[in-house]
Amino acid sequence: MAPVSLEKLTKVYPNGFEAVHEFNLEVADGEFMILVGPSGCGKTTAMRMVAGLEEITSGVLRINGEVMNDVSPRDRDIAMVFQNYALYPHMTVGENIGFALKMKHTPKAEIEKKVRETTEILGLTEWIDRKPGQLSGGQRQRVAMGRAIVREPKVFLMDEPLSNLDAKLRVQMRAEVARIQRRLGVATIYVTHDQVEAMTMGDRVAVMRAGLVLQCDKPQTIYDHPLNLFVAGFMGSPSMNLFEARLSEGSTTLFLGTQRIVLPPTVLTAKPSLAQFANRDVVVGIRPESLAVAGTATGERPEDLIFFEGDVDLVEALGSEILVHFSTDALRVEAEGMYSDDAEGLNAGSITQRGEGVARVSPETQVVIGEHVRLQVNPKRLFFFDPTSGLALTE
Amino acid sequence: MRLFNRIWSRTASYIILLAFTAFFVVPVIWLLFAPFKTDHNLVFQNPFALGSLGNLFHAAHVMFTFEDYALLNWLKNSAIYSFGGIVIALICSIPAGYGLAHTQFIGRRTLLGVTLFVMIMPATALVLPLFLEANAVHAVGTPLAVILPFSFFPFGVYLAYIFYSSSVPKDLLAAARIDGCNEWDVFRRIALPLARPIIALVTFFAFVANWNNFFLPFVMLPNSTNYPLPIGLQDLLSATPAFNPGQGGQVPIYRPELAIATIVAMAPVMIVFLFAQRSLVSGLLAGATKE
Repeated sequence: MAPVSLEKLTKVYPNGFEAVHEFNLEVADGEFMILVGPSGCGKTTAMRMVAGLEEITSGVLRINGEVMNDVSPRDRDIAMVFQNYALYPHMTVGENIGFALKMKHTPKAEIEKKVRETTEILGLTEWIDRKPGQLSGGQRQRVAMGRAIVREPKVFLMDEPLSNLDAKLRVQMRAEVARIQRRLGVATIYVTHDQVEAMTMGDRVAVMRAGLVLQCDKPQTIYDHPLNLFVAGFMGSPSMNLFEARLSEGSTTLFLGTQRIVLPPTVLTAKPSLAQFANRDVVVGIRPESLAVAGTATGERPEDLIFFEGDVDLVEALGSEILVHFSTDALRVEAEGMYSDDAEGLNAGSITQRGEGVARVSPETQVVIGEHVRLQVNPKRLFFFDPTSGLALTE
Repeated sequence: MRLFNRIWSRTASYIILLAFTAFFVVPVIWLLFAPFKTDHNLVFQNPFALGSLGNLFHAAHVMFTFEDYALLNWLKNSAIYSFGGIVIALICSIPAGYGLAHTQFIGRRTLLGVTLFVMIMPATALVLPLFLEANAVHAVGTPLAVILPFSFFPFGVYLAYIFYSSSVPKDLLAAARIDGCNEWDVFRRIALPLARPIIALVTFFAFVANWNNFFLPFVMLPNSTNYPLPIGLQDLLSATPAFNPGQGGQVPIYRPELAIATIVAMAPVMIVFLFAQRSLVSGLLAGATKE
């Protein structure tokens, strides 16, 4: 029996806005489930319905098999970590962490013991008598975690708990939160708009957009086999290069802008559905790391590779790798609302512009801005999408 | 040239400030010095001339013992009316502001609008209908006739509303609900302790308003033993020979005694201010910074 199960959970606000549409989700015991998507996609609303802070319009929510739709938050046996931490400013760290136990009328000695254990786990012992106002952002975040874990709840809910931290601390806490969750083995729902957190922390990821779950699977599966354009573009940083292209008669040749790329027959054998797109437009996706400057030794035979050309606009040397920003004359496709910080993008539709792309290449590669480069990619690593439905061609 | 301009503007601003300071401070100094002098000295001596302690003791003795300690009785009445009103006002206004800020109910906006409206309405305008109301329930002449109208303090509701809606995030209350609080616990354990600066602020403003209120008790309380300080003072003023030479001949109250009575009337406001001061400042700043 799953600790949390959402069955066609729907939220419609009084003004008619549908924030979440028929959300189905099962979180297994000890599973770390991530809800990811751009702002306004309904992920926080979905979580707040689980917490009981938001009324459920329709659908069924079960925690440990019991229907929880009309149960008040305090009786759901859940713990939540808020984005702004929501620490009680008039209580000390110890009182904050012990508050839920106090409300459950736990004996004083036991509260003290548990609070001490929790502060030890989180390295907060020396701050136990401080008030939240006297703590740094990272410490406050830890207190918020402490308040959740001390209760040993059935379910953890975390609403973008790391988004208020600076970049370095975020990386550190990312690992720490994941470690604590593994150690406690409590089913967790974690909301974020950061696809890196989604990739690295969770057992499974549900990618959401506009109130809908587009794909829910293991992070690597989502990365390797995105079901549609949005998921393909959202997961991965830098995001997947998406170009509009045209297939020739018999789907043997790809026209990328003015460039003509002959596809080896293996491509069509691997994805027979490409045959339906003969003489039609298709969206081609290439992950930046699948690209290399022609001639680079990648351990692949040159006859297995295909090539296309572009102009280098910008070179970002990151030390361990180089990001080469290039442009071609093919049209670039952007999935709707792909950028997490752009809520308006949700309604903007797909935007096409001059085909800019990014290649992530090895640091030894010699490229200069303004250079005309030949890029290589193994056609096995190409993704194809139906330009009208946005769905990936999986077979 | 530039330097000259700067010096000139500095000097001008100091002169203006000093003039205003003198205008407001001189009467206060005069008042503080007055009990140390005799009535005759007050009129004919230099206003800043120092008197003697003997004069002070004499005036204080006369004033406090006057008419069987009437001044202390008025002081007691004022305290009962003011604090009685404040206690009820706090019990009502803090939860009301919290409710208006953090719950959704039908008529919420209307209620908020009405609160604002009655807040700007002058309290004096309500005295007559309140009197008729008190009269109808035979409360005229009793302390309740003053305390109940004093406890009506819409400004407190408004202050609490502003505080809760700007300085207490909804997530904080949500966290408490998840931590096992019912609605009452959320208010008592989270919202109420956080409201300390606002409680101080409401207490202070309500106290000043109640303590200095003249017209309402004047109308409601016909009997001089029930008078609060301002009405007692007024009564005294009209009876002293200094202000009313015609008929006040027998009353032994002169200007130094009146000065003592005035200082006694002012002192509690100062004391409450000193106590509330620290919270007042943070209360006034509440919402300016985001936690």
